[in-house]
Amino acid sequence: MESHSFHPRLAELISKYPKSAGALFQTFNDVTLAQKWTDIQVLELSKCGRGAIKGLRPSLTAGEPPSTCVVVPCGLAESLSTSWIRGAFAALDDQLADAPETLFVAICSDDSSIVYYKITKGIMKPQV
Amino acid sequence: MASHRDRPIPLRVSNKKGYVWDVDDIAILRSHHHICGVLAGTLPHLSQQNVFLGVPLLLMPEEVVLLVDKGGPGFAILVDDQNAHHDPSAVELDKWDSERLRGIEEQLALAEEHEAREALNPDRAMSENAILKRKEREAKKARGKANALEPDQSLSTPLSTESVPDPPGPPDSSHGSGVTVTRNSVTPYTVHVPGTSSAFEWYALSNHSFNTLAAARDAGIWDYPKTPFERARCAVFRDLWEQGYFMGGGIKFGGEYLVYPGDPLRYHSHFVASVIESPAAPLRPMEIVAHGRLGTGTKKAHLLCEWDEDKQAATYYSIEWAGFG
Repeated sequence: MESHSFHPRLAELISKYPKSAGALFQTFNDVTLAQKWTDIQVLELSKCGRGAIKGLRPSLTAGEPPSTCVVVPCGLAESLSTSWIRGAFAALDDQLADAPETLFVAICSDDSSIVYYKITKGIMKPQV
Repeated sequence: MASHRDRPIPLRVSNKKGYVWDVDDIAILRSHHHICGVLAGTLPHLSQQNVFLGVPLLLMPEEVVLLVDKGGPGFAILVDDQNAHHDPSAVELDKWDSERLRGIEEQLALAEEHEAREALNPDRAMSENAILKRKEREAKKARGKANALEPDQSLSTPLSTESVPDPPGPPDSSHGSGVTVTRNSVTPYTVHVPGTSSAFEWYALSNHSFNTLAAARDAGIWDYPKTPFERARCAVFRDLWEQGYFMGGGIKFGGEYLVYPGDPLRYHSHFVASVIESPAAPLRPMEIVAHGRLGTGTKKAHLLCEWDEDKQAATYYSIEWAGFG
């Protein structure tokens, strides 16, 4: 990890929150190289004890502009809770001027699979 | 809840499950109070009735709790159904038995009368209608035979009169005057089974009703909710109900409840809900994956409903598959 070119950007958060270091590194790589997000910023969410990544995600439909998304990494073997989710939203409220109602959680596993799920505050109907 | 009627809705409890047996109550619960329940009744002779079922309506325990608690005094009561059916007294039993026998005798008398009328009119076969029908049948046969090879076979009139069936009646009745009709010794009659227990004199609901959950718990007929998880379920159900949603069972989609924006007969549900017992209750990422993917795959979102017992508040998070990654 240390010799990877992305490491310097994440070094501080990796040393501060070692338990989520693997997930953060894996998610950062995926989002940057595979999902091709742009304008990437790394945020510190102390209320959930980890770093998060904010960026512009290209739209899934052609012709639409990219949207601002925040992704919070976690490991498949971690134990979360709804108060953890609440903490993530609260930390984003602190950090960002326009606090999002939606965040993505990136669930990382040992075999380098990564799955993204969208979590929205409140009762939000699925889009058709 | 406004009471639209002058009596409370009886929720008849049997083996710790609440049933509604009155069709009018079922209609009111659904249309005025958006409580649907599940119809659970089947007809005795249909061996595989599994699409349309009848009364009773089976309620979820959360629905029972809501109706008794939230409905206010006099809206709904819990009935200890087993004990509400007393053993009938000797007098009540005699009365029931004599009414039953009288009903049978009336039916047999009517049947006898009907047979006597039939016997006095032995020429029913020669009535106008019968003659007309017979002529039609003969004409049809004649047409059919005329289309066949032998033309002289159309003169088959004598054959057709013999094929007219005898009018139905007791086998030993005879035509002519001075006839005696002997009744078959086993004339069938119908046994009527009343639809509701309240038709019986020995069903006394008033002595076995409870209008609070606590009273029912003391009597030993109802004990839901008793664990923190059950309390969370009741609280979340009530919170969603107060927001106007209709709820159904969630087993078909991997959750506790299906949450509908309106009557399930008109809408598909938008959410599959699961109840999170407390803010600190462990939640595995794999649950987010499983719930989220199943929800999205069925055009719904998964709803995590957290209940905070200390703050007495429900918080909701909607989960969907991100669609990328």
